[in-house]
Amino acid sequence: MESAASMNLKVTSMVVSAGVVALELDGEVDVYTAPLLRQEIVDQVEKGTRFLLVHLEKVEYLDSTGLGILIGGVKRLKEQNGAMKLIGPSPRISRIFDITGLNRIFDVYATQAEALATMGA
Amino acid sequence: MNDSLLAADTGGVGGVNPPVTESFVVTLTIPCAAEYVGTARLTILGVASRMGFSYDQVEDIRLAVGEACTNAIARAEESEAKSAATITISSHIEPTQLVVEIEDTVGDSGGSTDADLDRTTGEEVNPAELGALLMEILVDEVAVQIKPTGTHVRLTKYAMNATG
Repeated sequence: MESAASMNLKVTSMVVSAGVVALELDGEVDVYTAPLLRQEIVDQVEKGTRFLLVHLEKVEYLDSTGLGILIGGVKRLKEQNGAMKLIGPSPRISRIFDITGLNRIFDVYATQAEALATMGA
Repeated sequence: MNDSLLAADTGGVGGVNPPVTESFVVTLTIPCAAEYVGTARLTILGVASRMGFSYDQVEDIRLAVGEACTNAIARAEESEAKSAATITISSHIEPTQLVVEIEDTVGDSGGSTDADLDRTTGEEVNPAELGALLMEILVDEVAVQIKPTGTHVRLTKYAMNATG
């Protein structure tokens, strides 16, 4: 049975290649749903994923809790000599990255193909 | 079409709303729990959309109010008063501004050791600091008053500031 939080945010993972996983987020990332995202990132790192491609195209809302989870993900993957790539944020979400200065921390790409190209994949 | 232009031309995001000429107050009280923060955001979205704000401004207000609620919820998580705590969101709709007061009943008698909007999650960046930063940027004025019985946040967004 789905939890109530998972009705507000759906997180779908797909293996792209060895050690590379795409995460598609659909919905709102806030104080209620962020634990789902945190757990998914932790699980992926524990499974040996080094590169996470986090799709934000369908994210309608992202608050400071979600930003904190993404920053934590960047840190965890970096410790594994990996990286997190954020894909396709809306102008609204991109603005949040800009005004908080987090655009200097996050690697943001318009498409997954662009992100993969930077990894030599 | 540019959303901001659309809103400015038609009297706000709703497009058909008459200008605000009188003052009203819309009040909502929710449990201080994560599953209700979406209800607060939905309410403020409806309130702000009735004023002459652009789409971006309405979204700014929604995020700022969400951050104030999130901070209260995070403090409640650390407090003994978690189950009984509430958040009251009072939206003062005025011709020239929207003032949103977010008052929680999460006192400082619980487990929280720092009432200065501090919370940590083990991440490198404190979400509370990010939340406070977002509130400062997204609305025109922010005032925070910390009392023994809870925290009172007052957010002001000027209706005339169509480009802000």
